[in-house]
Amino acid sequence: MGMERPPTGHDIELAARAAGGDRQAYGELVRRHGSAVRGLLRRLGADSAAADDLAQDAFLTGFEQCAEFRGEGTFGGWIKKIAARLYLKKVKREARLIFSDAVEPVETMGRTDASGDAASRIDLDEALKALSRGERLCVSLCYGADWSHAEAAEALNIPIGTVKSHVKRGLDKLRARLARPEDGARREAHG
Amino acid sequence: MAEPDFEARLTRLFAEAPSFPDAALFNAEVSAKLDRGWAMRRLFIGAAGVAAGLIAAFQILSTRFSSEIAQISRDGSHGIENEINAGYAKVASVFTSPGSVEAVWLAAGLALVALAFAVTRAVEEL
Repeated sequence: MGMERPPTGHDIELAARAAGGDRQAYGELVRRHGSAVRGLLRRLGADSAAADDLAQDAFLTGFEQCAEFRGEGTFGGWIKKIAARLYLKKVKREARLIFSDAVEPVETMGRTDASGDAASRIDLDEALKALSRGERLCVSLCYGADWSHAEAAEALNIPIGTVKSHVKRGLDKLRARLARPEDGARREAHG
Repeated sequence: MAEPDFEARLTRLFAEAPSFPDAALFNAEVSAKLDRGWAMRRLFIGAAGVAAGLIAAFQILSTRFSSEIAQISRDGSHGIENEINAGYAKVASVFTSPGSVEAVWLAAGLALVALAFAVTRAVEEL
């Protein structure tokens, strides 16, 4: 028996086929977006085992709800929102959603290459470790899962002002950590 | 760096998917779970079909019993013992008359075929 070729086509087309029960088409979507979802869940604060379990659950939920995806946004964004919701549900269930300013240790993502963009991503993951749980969660939801401040506030059950302040503090810390040499030179030139 | 520049850079960094050495394993696990879920769903549908078929068959038969029993109660001229005996005789006749026996065996046979089909497909997919 020969190897089956993976389905091709745009995400929207594959999602439409998946909505009709085509598991191969959905498998291709998992292949395309699996790492992004796993990465997002780690950045939100899940440890690697929990992140992978939740990512699998997100994709299974996505398959069940595929008919609801009508291509208004990207499939990647849609599945990330599902994953983020599942993560928040899990931390709420475990009563671990405490917005203290304490910085908690987060696992580093397993990668071996550290050149170019990969190095930037590692910088981001390292920089996120400097954020408190609330800051990391709010920044990752708003910039990683493309949630609005209002969506994050509603999901986290906190005032929108709190989300904004977490995001602002988180961005300040990230900006300091992710500063590139040319940024410093530019500031000096302007100063 | 200006705020919009930094936010754009941050969005780009978040959008870049990290590479995981076990990505293929992850994909395979999701596919296996999807297949398993699908198989379980088909098994459930098959089992529900079998159950519904059996219930329908027994409903048909019991309807005949009840009409027969109602007929017996209307014929109130006999004693209770006679009625019970007559009822038993009617019930027995339902099972022993050629048409009813065929219906029961047909329903049971179809149920078995449906169950065997569902189990076979589930085993294949698991």
